[in-house]
Amino acid sequence: MSSEFNLVTETKDNCVVINTTGYINNVGGQKIVDEFYKYNGNGINNVILNLAHSNVVNSIGISFLIEIIEKLNQTNGKLIFSNLDPSIEKTFTIMGLFQFAKKADNMDEALKLL
Amino acid sequence: MNVIEYNNIIDKLSVQVKSFQEGFSILSGSNTLKELGTNFCHILRGNFFISDVNIFFKNNELAEWESIIIYNEKCRECLPHLKTSTNVNIEYFIDKEFIIIATLPLTDGSFWGLIIGNKIDKTEITELDKITLQMFLQLLDNAYQSFNNQIKEKQLNFSLNHRVVQLNSLIDTGIEISKLQKTSSLFELSLERAAALTNASRGVLQIISGDNVTSGIGFPENSDIKKVFDSDKRIDTFVEFNGVKYLFTLSEKESRNGIVDFDQTDEILLRAFARQVLAAIENEHLHNEAIDKERMHQEIEMAAEIQRRIIPQKLPEIDGYDLAGINIPSLEIGGDYYDVTKLKDGRYLIIIADVAGKGVASGLLVSTLNASLNAYVENDFILTEVADRLNKIIYKASTPEKYITGFITILDPATGTIEYLNAGHNPIFYSSNGKLIKLDKGGFAFGMLDFGLPFESAFIKIEPGEKILFYTDGITEAMNENNEEYSDERLESFFLNNKPAKAEIFIENLMTDIKKHTADTPQSDDITALYFIRKQ
Repeated sequence: MSSEFNLVTETKDNCVVINTTGYINNVGGQKIVDEFYKYNGNGINNVILNLAHSNVVNSIGISFLIEIIEKLNQTNGKLIFSNLDPSIEKTFTIMGLFQFAKKADNMDEALKLL
Repeated sequence: MNVIEYNNIIDKLSVQVKSFQEGFSILSGSNTLKELGTNFCHILRGNFFISDVNIFFKNNELAEWESIIIYNEKCRECLPHLKTSTNVNIEYFIDKEFIIIATLPLTDGSFWGLIIGNKIDKTEITELDKITLQMFLQLLDNAYQSFNNQIKEKQLNFSLNHRVVQLNSLIDTGIEISKLQKTSSLFELSLERAAALTNASRGVLQIISGDNVTSGIGFPENSDIKKVFDSDKRIDTFVEFNGVKYLFTLSEKESRNGIVDFDQTDEILLRAFARQVLAAIENEHLHNEAIDKERMHQEIEMAAEIQRRIIPQKLPEIDGYDLAGINIPSLEIGGDYYDVTKLKDGRYLIIIADVAGKGVASGLLVSTLNASLNAYVENDFILTEVADRLNKIIYKASTPEKYITGFITILDPATGTIEYLNAGHNPIFYSSNGKLIKLDKGGFAFGMLDFGLPFESAFIKIEPGEKILFYTDGITEAMNENNEEYSDERLESFFLNNKPAKAEIFIENLMTDIKKHTADTPQSDDITALYFIRKQ
């Protein structure tokens, strides 16, 4: 069962890694975007979104992720989703997110995709 | 206007047309409102040779102006001059810090506002500039519509994709639920999927028995369930199975603009998830029922095996006598019983019994009868006393509608003397000198009454060549397809007219005759017979 949303951020090279926990909804999505802009404003253009501990996302949460994708597209940045739950991976595929973002099975693979 | 001036205007217009085309291309490529405003600012600066271009936007007439791009902060003082009417409004000023103030109403009720300072070369705004500005404003209007259409297209695509996600998730959840072993997992999965696909902030599943909520699951985990019921924006649905109600409640549908009402699609989705849960609960119930049935079947099999061991597989050989018996239960566990046991004084106990009814309960009474008899055969066996004790034991062990009819005999093989006692059983056939004698002396069936009424026994002496047939009513009441019984008369006739030398042959022939009568009609009662002949 998915819990209330929380996130922890770390930076690796020129990349911000956002590790989430819980339901990615309006609240979760907003927190992710806020965190993204905080680092993007400082010139970090690569993002890894580690969803290992998030297995439920709603469409409002997805709209925030699309906002990040659009922003990164304007600046030739990269967004990589890692550790996706199969149901989330399927949802993102249907919503077309992987046309503009990449996915990785784990963090090591995600870092290689940068 | 002379030819040169005319040609200059033509040249300028030609350049402007090219500029419009390029401008539209740039504007329509904008991804955000701010980008659109900024691009328009660049176009104006390039075409009018002005740095001081300030652009504002507001969503509707009542909203505040939002600054898109500001070159000169003083421009804000001119905001009251931006008029929000349904027509394009352009005002030109001379010798002021800002020489153009324009408002562009848009089809969706929003407005662009422009506050423009002096040209870099300090020249005045020409008529051509004015025409050009009007055309650029038209260009901005078109680009904004195109920009809006792109947003709508994205929203439509998003919405369509989300519908696909909803349907897909509904199907996937159904499949996943059917694979889950634990009921609690299926509750959690269905609740979180229903909440996510309807964009609900929270959800609760309550399990209600009668008026009591026996348990509840919240989504997200560890969230405050009370918040769901405190919200005035919620939907719920329930399914019911075996008197237990499963109530799903979702609250606070999210949007990018805050909490909104749930719509009909959300209600349909929630009901669909609830029905999936109901189907899973029903399936689990049926599965458990099947397991219980299988377990019960195995237990009945074991009970039947125990009872098969109670019925003798082989009768003892009694010197000077030939015995044969058969027992065919109609169910796995029958209610008929027979046995032949040697007593410690050399006599033989021969019994046939029939428990009222069939099945497990009857089988248990047969076991009780067998165990009791076996206890008594070790002691001095006084038939009437044993019958009395059996009656008490069976009376105590059975329910009011259960009792046992039985016919017990004690055979002294040396003399042929038989002491018999008929406890409510059908009369046993004894053939003497070609005549049929029905042995019926005894008392009530065992377990029927416990008033202290005495059992009475009687004696006969079986001579060489004479025979006795013990049987249960499963023979005389065996039905054919016309619901006609085999009957007492037919059995009497068969008994008198069939005199094979071997008891075993008699039993075989009797079974054949019964089968001839019943044909393919299913056996409705246990069939038991015991036949013995005193050899010549």
